[in-house]
Amino acid sequence: MVTAAGTAFLPRARLDALLDLLREGGRTVIGPTVRDGMVVLDEIATVADLPVGWRDVQAPGRYRLSDGHGDRVFDIVNGQMSWKQFIFPPRQKVGEMNRSAADGSVSFQPSAPDPSRLAFIGVRACELAALGIHDRVLAGGTFVDEDYRARRDAALVVAVQCTRSASGCFCTSMGTGPEVRSGHDLVLTELDDGFVVNAGSSAGERLLARLPGRLATPGEEASVSAAVAATRAAIGDPVATNGLRDRLMDQLDSPRWAQVADRCLACTNCTMVCPTCFCTSTSIGSDLDGTVNVTERVWDSCFNPGFAKVAGGDFRPRREDRYRQWLTHKFATWVDQFGTSGCVGCGRCVTWCPVGIDVREELAAIAPPALPVERPFIRPAAATPGRFEITTLRASHPETADTATLTLVPSEPALLAGLPGQFVMVDLPGFPAFPISVSRYATDHLLLTVRGAGPATAALLNTPIGGQIGLRGPLGTGWPVDRALGRDVVIVAGGIGLAPLRPVVDTLLAEQGRFGKILLAYGARTPADRLFTSELPAWAERGMEVLQIVDRSGPGWAGHVGVVTNLLDQRDLGSRPTIAFICGPERMMQATSSVLRDAGVSRERLFVSLERHMQCGIGLCGHCQMGPFFVCRDGPVFALTELGDLFTREGI
Amino acid sequence: MVATRLPRVGVVKLASCDGCQLTLLDLEDELIAIGQRFDLVEFPEATSRRSMGPYDVLLVEGSVSTPEQAEQIVDLRARTKLLVTIGACATAGGIQALRNWSDEPEWRASVYPRPEEIESLATSTPVAEHVTVDAELRGCPIDPHQLLELLTALRVGRRPQLPDEAVCAECKRLGRICVLVAGGTACLGPVTQVGCGALCPAYLRGCYACFGPRDAANTISLAGWLGQDRTAVEVDRLFAGFTGYAPAFREASRRAVEVMQPPARRRRSKGKTT
Amino acid sequence: MHTGTPQDGDLHFEVGQLTRVEGEGSLDLRVAADGTVAAQLRIFEAPRYFERLVVGRTPDEVIDIVARICGICPVAYQMSAVHAFEHLLEVEIDPAVRLLRRLLYCGEWIESHALHIFLLHAPDFLGYPSALEMAHDHLELVSRGLTMKKLGNRIVAIVGARAIHPLSVRVGGFSRAPRAQELDELRSPLETAITDAEATVKWAASLDTPPSDREPRLVSLRHPGEYPMSDGRIVSSDGIDLSPDDWRSAFHEVQVPWSHALQASAADGVPYLLGPTARVALAADQLHPRAAAALKATRISPEALRRNVFHSIVARAVELLHALAEAADIVASYAPPARPAASWKPKAGVAAWATEAPRGLLFHRYTLDSKGIVRGAQIVPPTSQNQAAIEHDLALFAPAVLHLPHDEATRRMEQLIRSYDPCISCATHFLQLKIEHDR
Repeated sequence: MVTAAGTAFLPRARLDALLDLLREGGRTVIGPTVRDGMVVLDEIATVADLPVGWRDVQAPGRYRLSDGHGDRVFDIVNGQMSWKQFIFPPRQKVGEMNRSAADGSVSFQPSAPDPSRLAFIGVRACELAALGIHDRVLAGGTFVDEDYRARRDAALVVAVQCTRSASGCFCTSMGTGPEVRSGHDLVLTELDDGFVVNAGSSAGERLLARLPGRLATPGEEASVSAAVAATRAAIGDPVATNGLRDRLMDQLDSPRWAQVADRCLACTNCTMVCPTCFCTSTSIGSDLDGTVNVTERVWDSCFNPGFAKVAGGDFRPRREDRYRQWLTHKFATWVDQFGTSGCVGCGRCVTWCPVGIDVREELAAIAPPALPVERPFIRPAAATPGRFEITTLRASHPETADTATLTLVPSEPALLAGLPGQFVMVDLPGFPAFPISVSRYATDHLLLTVRGAGPATAALLNTPIGGQIGLRGPLGTGWPVDRALGRDVVIVAGGIGLAPLRPVVDTLLAEQGRFGKILLAYGARTPADRLFTSELPAWAERGMEVLQIVDRSGPGWAGHVGVVTNLLDQRDLGSRPTIAFICGPERMMQATSSVLRDAGVSRERLFVSLERHMQCGIGLCGHCQMGPFFVCRDGPVFALTELGDLFTREGI
Repeated sequence: MVATRLPRVGVVKLASCDGCQLTLLDLEDELIAIGQRFDLVEFPEATSRRSMGPYDVLLVEGSVSTPEQAEQIVDLRARTKLLVTIGACATAGGIQALRNWSDEPEWRASVYPRPEEIESLATSTPVAEHVTVDAELRGCPIDPHQLLELLTALRVGRRPQLPDEAVCAECKRLGRICVLVAGGTACLGPVTQVGCGALCPAYLRGCYACFGPRDAANTISLAGWLGQDRTAVEVDRLFAGFTGYAPAFREASRRAVEVMQPPARRRRSKGKTT
Repeated sequence: MHTGTPQDGDLHFEVGQLTRVEGEGSLDLRVAADGTVAAQLRIFEAPRYFERLVVGRTPDEVIDIVARICGICPVAYQMSAVHAFEHLLEVEIDPAVRLLRRLLYCGEWIESHALHIFLLHAPDFLGYPSALEMAHDHLELVSRGLTMKKLGNRIVAIVGARAIHPLSVRVGGFSRAPRAQELDELRSPLETAITDAEATVKWAASLDTPPSDREPRLVSLRHPGEYPMSDGRIVSSDGIDLSPDDWRSAFHEVQVPWSHALQASAADGVPYLLGPTARVALAADQLHPRAAAALKATRISPEALRRNVFHSIVARAVELLHALAEAADIVASYAPPARPAASWKPKAGVAAWATEAPRGLLFHRYTLDSKGIVRGAQIVPPTSQNQAAIEHDLALFAPAVLHLPHDEATRRMEQLIRSYDPCISCATHFLQLKIEHDR
């Protein structure tokens, strides 16, 4: 028995005692094991299950195992699987959304977090860092993945310091290893006769106190240092990380992206084996009648087609767009989002790429080391929490041929306390959730203006009066109306873009004395495509300047014909402090911001509302990322200064 | 779906092995429920009820391989609202499409002593080369879960969830170890559309592309990589399989067939090559 | 389409497309005024040229390809092919591999026989157009059949990765053999299914059958130690006894003037019958004890079983029970082989083999070159061998039902054809036959 504070030595023959201790309390021990000639992470029942005498040899696109290398247990550096498989499972039931066949009522049953308790043995330093990164991503923000946190909190971690390295390793460059510093309960370093053991937590200390063995000798402790130092020396420093974030973001136009895309298969292997990738999708399993709908969260990848697609098109249609997204997210914008690099240098993406693309080479080719550049950056305030609510449809009012405004009455008032510009995620049984901006808040109801663009929105529009619809929200950032106090306000809307702007109009008109002049410039394709046509004259009567323009004229139209920027040309908006809120198709917003800047509105006071593919609405599935931002969480409203040149760049 | 009558569903077969139709009968747990929610008006393998249409949904298995089938599919299309092709034969021409680069009369003559009595087209082609297709289920055979998802989506009104990602994505989710990287086994998974549940790697062999190439599959890059340890001929053969006629695999497949079955130098005077 | 309009004294029954058979076929029966009967079973499967598709391929590729000849019996094609290759290449397979192959084949028999008995043939006996309508009134029966079919599919899927077109069969064994625990989930369902199959035999024996009497020549495999499945000599009820290498000495394929393709027949021209009836008759002594007991309890004599074509459903039910019982025995004793597949070297020569598909004897013959590449193939499916017997029986049977209402008579004749469980996609050759039968 060893006293808790010391460094212990566990003889090789007593490794089973550690396994027994880990299994106490009904834990399952997970560790590396060889099956069918390949190493997987699976349940370890006895020491014989561990890969004794096995070694791996890795190269880009190539992994080979061989045995007969003596009696070392932990000579295999790593395999394809990472611990992510267990704390963030590939398929995870999120809940059931059911519709009663009898009365059509809707209910949502979230899944309870998994109670199983695991002990991981064989966790490398890079993998510890990966667990830490997932802690920040999945449990460190406003919205927490409860299932992840439950599994993580329940898992014991026995780390192993690497005494061998693989050719793909670069933990040294990423600052994550090979030394194990924190995040572990116990850490082992394997020597010839046994294991030097240290604790890294109070749980670890309690285990250490009960392990057979003795204190480690100074000679053994020195051997540990020497072994790990030798591993460090063997790895070297393959990647120049100094200023990597900025170097990479400066090279969004590099021709190398297209070159690597010619080799890349977009097969998703790199993201699947990566221990820090976290993007997911939802998958719905329904019974034949659509009464029971099980929602699963499923590992997805930014390399997949459709990952960045919305009804209007695909934001990343080319393979090179997606490779760029992955590399820049992993090594650059992750820093902005979470404070560290997203890469831990484990080398799996290099080894398991079927065509052997090596990120270290690509980084060196795309973003060679140079002097760092400082770039200021502003982030908006966090959103208010969004819980699931059931609402009842009270009325539906057609606006245009394909758009209607729905009046929804929630049972709880939280949904009504949203800000202008926020959105809700609409949940219908059997359909993937989708975002819709709130187009008006009232005392006991809210209005959603919806265009039927696909089967899900069509189903929403077909809901009968009295039917039930699930909403989560309000979500996202709103228009900063408080910044408009005392200023002139220019509101520019294109088509259905007027819907998220209407709550701004409501707020401005309700307290008109606190603001300056209000101008609404509204453009639509045809007169019949305009929203809220009965209100527009009423707004004009209350003192707003309401200008309308259509791309193509229609019967009875005597107004302007052209694009909405025509309404703003030649106006002098710079002589008084002015703030602008713009919402419409992306090209329209780009053109409008350009015109408004020319007209004198400063960039810090130009706000746009962006649309991206949203699956979860709460910044956890990764789909809506744009550069460093999660549009659902950091937006959809952004100041032009935050966006920089991301706004006008293709394929981001 | 609000309906006053059940959707009229037909299941028909062109040149194929019947395996894809059988997949519907292999939904044993759901079959009776399916029969209560869909009116199977035409499904010769399973029922003596017959109908010439019109059909709300028509599942078509098999490739177009005879003149009669070429006419039949046009006729069926005219009487169908939603035409769904099921299986590699209907979606890609099937294994029998490998004759498309050969001298079909010579093939016919090698199997039938009097080939002139056999009616067959020189090519076996996917249904989409003859009529517009509204949806497709790939596979050889199709996957029963995907078939069930299609039927469920039709009832609920949503788009069926049929992902266009590589087999690799599902293989990794299922925790299978890569036979290509770790075993050196030739595997077409990275360029093949997912759907089967990544079965081949589960049984330690390489994917042979039953589900056909995914959209924008980078077959050139994969072929180049595989060619490091194999001859060009061996790499081409990998693509000459059950979906070898699909555009992304077609060129490599054609070269392979030319090597495997060189055109006869002179016509055989009798019978078969046995 | 059924027409019954007499023309010039002829009665003409035409079924435009046979239903509830696998594949596409049609029936044309002409009865002349003088009572002579002409039967045409036309099968119009489009040719896919499998015997040519396999030329230039390796043996493992051929195993993948020939499965696609038939979606219901892909295992049969893979087994005939792989054993033929192993026979030529002199590959010794591990006994555990042999057991696994037998289990795989049992799975296919179970799935195929359950499909046929419950979904394709039972509706004829109980008077329904399909099993789905039958399920309204006979839910337990249909559910029982679906459960057994599902179990058969599950067995194939565990050994072969999926129920249709298994992918793990290789020359020398399997790409991967299941661990023993993977078969555990089958134990309990097999026990239940065996009991259900015993009830099915009893039920099949209780069905009313139309009158039928003929004395067929029966042909199947015969093995000294097991019920015939994947190995054995070819034997008949009237003295044929040869190795599959010598198939051509007793059987051959000819193209006849009225046929679109090659017809398999015995050298002496006498029609012969393959399938469950033949096997149960010729290998009754090797039935699993539970199957033998169930057969005995039906009190149907061996003579009656083979002479009444409609009793094929009983023979099929007995084989369903046999396959379930044998599968249960294999699962109980399975231990994985040391290696999933034995290695092999290419060799030139001729590879011939026969195995018992659910529908009957399936014969494969391949010519390989010195690199082990296939240069030629001959594949003779059971249904194209049963052709002559089917039409012979049709001609014999027809006069007995001519007096019935037309629709009823046509239904009876379809029921007769379905007794053979004809698998028409397999027919790499399709046939058009006329039989003139003088009275």
